Amino acid sequence: MSNDEIFAAAYREHYWAVSRYVARRLDGRTGEVEEVVAEVFTVAWRRRAELPHTPLPWLYGVARNCLANAVRGQGRRRRLLARLGNDDAAHGRHITSGPEAEPPGGWVHEALARLSARDQEVLRLTAWEELGVDELAVALGCGSRAAAMRLHRARARLRTEIDRMGPASATAPHRPHPATAVDATTAKEHGHG
Amino acid sequence: MADELDLLRRANPVPADAPQHADGPLDHRGERHLHRLLHEPPPAPASRWRPTGGRSAHRGVRLAWGLAATLVVAVTALTLLLAGPSAPPAVAAPRPLVVRADATPVPLDLLAERAEAAATDGEPGLRKGTHVQSWSLGMSDDAPPITLPEERVVRWTADGRHTELVVATDPRHPGRPVIGEDEDGNPRQVEDGRVVSDTTYPPSWSDAPPHSPPPHDPDRLRAYLEEAQHTDTMDIAQLLDAADLLLDNWTLGARESAALVRLLADTGGLRPAGEVTDRLGRHGQAYVHEVTGVRRMLIMNPDTGAVLGLETTFTEAQPEYGVAAGDVMEYSAWTR
Repeated sequence: MSNDEIFAAAYREHYWAVSRYVARRLDGRTGEVEEVVAEVFTVAWRRRAELPHTPLPWLYGVARNCLANAVRGQGRRRRLLARLGNDDAAHGRHITSGPEAEPPGGWVHEALARLSARDQEVLRLTAWEELGVDELAVALGCGSRAAAMRLHRARARLRTEIDRMGPASATAPHRPHPATAVDATTAKEHGHG
Repeated sequence: MADELDLLRRANPVPADAPQHADGPLDHRGERHLHRLLHEPPPAPASRWRPTGGRSAHRGVRLAWGLAATLVVAVTALTLLLAGPSAPPAVAAPRPLVVRADATPVPLDLLAERAEAAATDGEPGLRKGTHVQSWSLGMSDDAPPITLPEERVVRWTADGRHTELVVATDPRHPGRPVIGEDEDGNPRQVEDGRVVSDTTYPPSWSDAPPHSPPPHDPDRLRAYLEEAQHTDTMDIAQLLDAADLLLDNWTLGARESAALVRLLADTGGLRPAGEVTDRLGRHGQAYVHEVTGVRRMLIMNPDTGAVLGLETTFTEAQPEYGVAAGDVMEYSAWTR
């Protein structure tokens, strides 16, 4: 297969996994998600000669950089607009004040938000994209040992933040997000299209 | 005790089976983008100040005016950034359009009737492509917002090719330098008329909205715009977004303009505000929709209903974004 054919196959197989990756980090707002996903694959197309045999973690790494650009640029403006009331209801995340508040995912997000961007990303890649350490290393652009260390430290810091939010959080693990109750224990996040 | 990763897994905001992102065949946008990548020239690299590719590649990119106060801050910062001729650049952004207090607003229903009457001979006709002058407030995490004025012309040929020319210019101040972007997408002072991009695209025949011709029946136009926006129903805010998208791709004829005005009137939610003179000196009727913190104003020709412009203004300050109440975030002025 040529590079173009390999790229096209990876695009078809992983388009939706990349879409989910982006949506998770942009509160799921469709319009902006599509733009960033298009940019991810445009960048991947330019770099298609580097596409690894297992491309998804690599694509996540590309997406991470594209999101950083989007966040710094126009995406910032759009999020401001959204925050001002255009589509509050469309946000998948609602930050809440504590473990007892609803929806159940809110306080976990709040704990996550207290961490550094670097810690947040390593945790999201592990929990939401379900990457193993070697895949994590590809997505983060570091070695496996470094990735394992980053994850270990980030987990500890997340645990600390969760504990700080109140004793109830540590004993209330089985209040799954309504939309994710099944997902948490089923499908491996390696999109197939 | 629950594992912190388990807790996080259960808080996944977009699970693998989320309706809009579940695995499956590509949707038509995904297919179209793949086709473009495989068969068309790639867009320009992403700018730090705007999302990738500018208005042409991404419909959400808008040009806009900023309030003078914001630009004072921006110019102060840019003075440190920019090296150029001593003539002051044309960066002073105008205030939002002023609605004439003594003018009687024209109800949208009446404007729709006028537009329908004006469209009986079908002239002018629909044309693929667009011509828009726009001002966009670019935001960055590490610098004040700045306004980028651009003119964009897209023309299609019978063989399915199209050209897109984008230049940095501000028609309010012909010949004066403006804020544009360098090759890396960083803001800098450039000469009036500097070509930002000049691209010829190979043949492309998409038959999906907004690339297919828009109908000139209001109900069919609604269905067309809903398909273009990937939504089942549209409120007025979504309809304004859709109209914006439509005008980024087509220069509407009299019949399509009449259908659009009728659709806006039937949807409700736009308040007639009165008479304005737009950024290009044209007289229009203004119709306003407000949500928390933001006002959008659609400006239309009082006789034909043709959309002249769309202005988005912040009505509340957002200090952490460097935005003051009254700053115009984006402004687009369409011409034939």
